[in-house]
Amino acid sequence: MTSEIQPIVEFAGVDKRYGDGPLILDNVSFKAERGDFISLIGPSGCGKSTVLKLISGLNPNSAGKIVVDGASPKGAVEKLSFVFQEPTLLPWHTVEKNVELPMKLHGTAAAGRAEVAARCLSLVGLSDRKDYYPRQLSGGQKMRVSIARALSVSPKILLLDEPFGALDEMTRDHLNEELLAIRQQLAWTAFFVTHSVAEAVFLSNRIIVMSANPGRIHSEVRVDFPYPRTEETRQSPEYQKLVAEVSKILRSVERLKK
Amino acid sequence: MRRVPGFLKKLLPALTGVGMIFVWYCICMGLSADHRFLLPSPSEVARAFVDKGPALWGGALTTGGGALAGFGISVTLSFIIALILSLSPLVRASLYPYLMILQMTPVIVIAPILILWVGPGFRSVTVITFLICFFPMVVNTTQGLISTDRNLVDYFRMCKASKWQEIWLLRVPSALPYFFTGLRIGATLAPIGAIVGDYIAGNSAGGQGGLGFLTIIYSSQFQMGALFATAIVGCALGFVFVAAVVALSWLSLHKWHESFSRTDT
Repeated sequence: MTSEIQPIVEFAGVDKRYGDGPLILDNVSFKAERGDFISLIGPSGCGKSTVLKLISGLNPNSAGKIVVDGASPKGAVEKLSFVFQEPTLLPWHTVEKNVELPMKLHGTAAAGRAEVAARCLSLVGLSDRKDYYPRQLSGGQKMRVSIARALSVSPKILLLDEPFGALDEMTRDHLNEELLAIRQQLAWTAFFVTHSVAEAVFLSNRIIVMSANPGRIHSEVRVDFPYPRTEETRQSPEYQKLVAEVSKILRSVERLKK
Repeated sequence: MRRVPGFLKKLLPALTGVGMIFVWYCICMGLSADHRFLLPSPSEVARAFVDKGPALWGGALTTGGGALAGFGISVTLSFIIALILSLSPLVRASLYPYLMILQMTPVIVIAPILILWVGPGFRSVTVITFLICFFPMVVNTTQGLISTDRNLVDYFRMCKASKWQEIWLLRVPSALPYFFTGLRIGATLAPIGAIVGDYIAGNSAGGQGGLGFLTIIYSSQFQMGALFATAIVGCALGFVFVAAVVALSWLSLHKWHESFSRTDT
């Protein structure tokens, strides 16, 4: 099959505007290989989240070409999952039922759902919380449930829109490590929107820096530290040097905006 | 503030009740002989309960039945109408004014019309109860259905959920707290509606009269003790309705809704 060597997501000269509004994305082009962990950073209003929405097929692009796993984004809906900044769990369902929700919406038979949910909950270390309700969980635990829910449909592509933005730094670091550990077991391609340079450097093998008004790709930074990455990675001078470098690029982009 | 012991806290409402009856008794004693008829003493009311026991019991059942039927129809219809209203602002704009009319029309004026249409007695009482309960229930449930968390709606859309799934798996469950608020208001109104209905459109033939009919009888005969007893029965009926709704809402909400968050273990 030739599809295996094709990029899993390809943007070629993509523009996006809403109605007659201003240009949100201007001539965005990139290719994502299978297994890439790509972070999108940039000043607010640079269209990072819009890129995710275009990949998801939720909104159509205005110009250019988008290919997701050999198909148009609309045809690829079943292959991807979303994690938002809010955990967006249903408060009246238990943790287990929340994880089963996307399978239920896609019409998966009830018999198979519990097994998949159990597997996904064990991936995020919440097997013993399956009968809890969301309000009984901490912010970090809710986010884990949200991730388990996203994994339950065995996505090829994971779209994460500032998923840890509302968490404290400690929890965020933990979840970053867990996310990478899960990635060792399940091979998905990730698009990760964040405001935190440190987080982007820690997680990704590629960082796409965007500039605003209209949203353009400013530059790309490769992160070549080997996986698995741990707390030691964070301590290493190379890591800290790269965080400083990327921060500098981001600052220059933000100055550009003004 | 000092801590009140647990047992005293539970006893307090009962003590308040005893105190109020005592005050009531004292006022009766203080009234002059020619004014005493205005306020029956607690013992007179108690005697009325014994003397009129069967009539009050029968009246409570009749009125309770009418209230339950009207309330039940109101729950069902308000839910369906709320679902329709929640579909779009356009539907709401075009239907709300007419629902308001339903609420604004004085029951006492439509009663004669209802008697002609559906006949006096149980049917009229049911319709009048329905008319009184309906509006607050529709308004609350509709509000609930359109107040769904925007993020959750977006999530459902991203999962390509059908409109049907969005309504039944998302909008309806998240409207439950509002629905129960409406239900609670309806439950307090239903017995009152049924008594008013019985008063103006009841059917006394063959002992079918409810509490409203008893009110007419006792007031015409100036039986103050029995009137007080009737009022208390009506009040108790209201309590039964509200208690049932509170129990129901506890059953369906206590596990997940913030309003019951003290029940955590």
